[in-house]
Amino acid sequence: MHYTFDIERGNFADAGQASSSVKRTLKQLGVAPANIRRAVVALFEAEINAVAHAYGGTIDVDIDGSKIVMVVADQGPGIPDLDAAMQEGWSTASAKVREMGYGAGMGLPNIKKNTDDLKIDTKVGVGTTVTMTIYLA
Amino acid sequence: MAYTEPAFKHSLKINDYLCQGCTTCMRSCPTGAIRIRNGKAHVNDNKCVDCGECMKVCPHKAIYIKQDDFALIENYRYRVCLVPTTFIGQFEQKYKTKAIYACLKRIGFTHIYEVEHEVEYIVELYNKYIDQHPEINTFISPYCPAVIRLIQVRFPSLVDNIIKVRAPSELAALIMSNRLIDEGASPESIGIFYVTPCAAKIAAVKYPVSHKDTRIAGVINMDFLYNKVKLMLRDSDNDAEPVNHSLSTKDVLWPLPGGEASLFNGSHYAVDGLQNVLNFLERLEDEAVDAQGLVEMRICDQGCVGGVLAINNRFVARKRLEDRARLFDDPSRNTSRYTRYNNPEFCKWIDEQMEIPEIKPRSIYKLDDDFQEAFKMAERMKKIEKALPGVNCSACGAPSCAALAEDIVRGDANINSCIFLNRHSPDSEEIIRSIWGDHVKTRKTDNEKNNQ
Ligand SMILES: Nc1ncnc2c1ncn2[C@@H]1O[C@H](COP(=O)(O)OP(=O)(O)OP(=O)(O)O)[C@@H](O)[C@H]1O
Ligand SMILES: [Mg+2]
Repeated sequence: MHYTFDIERGNFADAGQASSSVKRTLKQLGVAPANIRRAVVALFEAEINAVAHAYGGTIDVDIDGSKIVMVVADQGPGIPDLDAAMQEGWSTASAKVREMGYGAGMGLPNIKKNTDDLKIDTKVGVGTTVTMTIYLA
Repeated sequence: MAYTEPAFKHSLKINDYLCQGCTTCMRSCPTGAIRIRNGKAHVNDNKCVDCGECMKVCPHKAIYIKQDDFALIENYRYRVCLVPTTFIGQFEQKYKTKAIYACLKRIGFTHIYEVEHEVEYIVELYNKYIDQHPEINTFISPYCPAVIRLIQVRFPSLVDNIIKVRAPSELAALIMSNRLIDEGASPESIGIFYVTPCAAKIAAVKYPVSHKDTRIAGVINMDFLYNKVKLMLRDSDNDAEPVNHSLSTKDVLWPLPGGEASLFNGSHYAVDGLQNVLNFLERLEDEAVDAQGLVEMRICDQGCVGGVLAINNRFVARKRLEDRARLFDDPSRNTSRYTRYNNPEFCKWIDEQMEIPEIKPRSIYKLDDDFQEAFKMAERMKKIEKALPGVNCSACGAPSCAALAEDIVRGDANINSCIFLNRHSPDSEEIIRSIWGDHVKTRKTDNEKNNQ
């Protein structure tokens, strides 16, 4: 099953639609609550990053009999130092983003913690693609 | 095989005579429990949580709550009216609380006992439960039975966050019957009747999530009792025998938003109103809110004074109850708790009685117990949803196109039910009648009439 969503730049209010829709499907499938939570948390964090740090982008979700693969892609500024960005508490979030309650530098570490496979392709000036896999069974 | 649970009972009923099949209730239901068949609303037993939303929005007053026959009280020598303070909040300030209670006695009760007598101990039970579960961060209050059931069916991953303690009305019934037995009454001679402000609390007495016995002999709808009292209430009732107020101001305020939270010392939140409850639970499930401590949740806006059987406007009732509560702040009041609370053996017994052994998840979303089968159904459902117009017109008898798609994959409906898709079909008249009954107006029926 395939789902596609668009992410709008700076639209924090609408962020979360993709994760709600994914959540609904996973509930229909009777996936264990812990796995649903992991998928929703990871997808939400990746989506927020595309909203906050890039210029929006797209979300592609694929669910098959054994796993869920979620790809969040943006054509944003890219991440210059990925190792640093993966550290807890490391953030370049603007004052405005912090005011919204984000910017603790916990997003990427949280994604790492909640996924079984994580791949981040990023190039400065080109964009970032985050591919997250969770095994369901 | 499709996911089924033994049929679960609910207390909201449809009056087929009054129901016009107008879809208002169906569209407001938070669990998608209602469908229109043959022109009438039907409630799915497994999905309904008795939140009362349908009854609040029904423009035809076609939804009602079955109550016990009031004459049942005659079967008992000791007839206890177990009344929540929500009830006294319905009355104007000029009538003293003792005047209201005098009327209840004239109606036939021998004793009046407020549910809120026992809320202090309920909070102690909450605290004990919280101390025993350091692994849980967010504790959801079990007070509102509609919230418990909403969590079971819509947020099954949160069932373990609910504090597993039964309702204050159950404790009050237990203590009151013990008080009477201490005074020499035989258990069979005691009839405790609970006055309910809502559908969920009736269901909680009749079909308790604890699966335990109750000391409550019957349930009376608050609007029914209000009308009886209101008719006989006279200014002279203010001179009635004083009642033994052992409630504190805070106890009296328990049914209002923040009522539980204010008795609780730790970190707490208070959420009221259906949409607020839904949003909060959704966020909690996604771990998008970090709520540490106790979350008080009432499905009705303004808490229990917003219950569907509470008579007066909820904002007026709230103000009245707040004003009345201040009168309970009398330092000379008799604050004595039931004496046996000092007995550890008794408390141990009470704690056991008050425990909810298990709250089972009953997901309404799960399409099948078998993942592969559910997967096929979900895929089909997605395809069907794409084919449907997406206007959510409800003409198929389901609340939305997504709901119809789900009904179809579950085998409960047919794609032909979509009148939008079938508007050019020669069978469209038949389809409409099968959903909306013979009385529904269509161009054809109008033409037939004109030709006669
Ligand atoms: N899609 C992205 N495009 C560009 N930079 C990004 C992107 N995602 C993350 N980053 C960079 O990595 C940093 C760390 O991201 P992370 O999600 O861990 O924290 P945060 O978004 O700053 O704060 P939080 O997620 O706790 O609200 C960000 O501050 C940002 O500099
Ligand atoms: Mg982030």
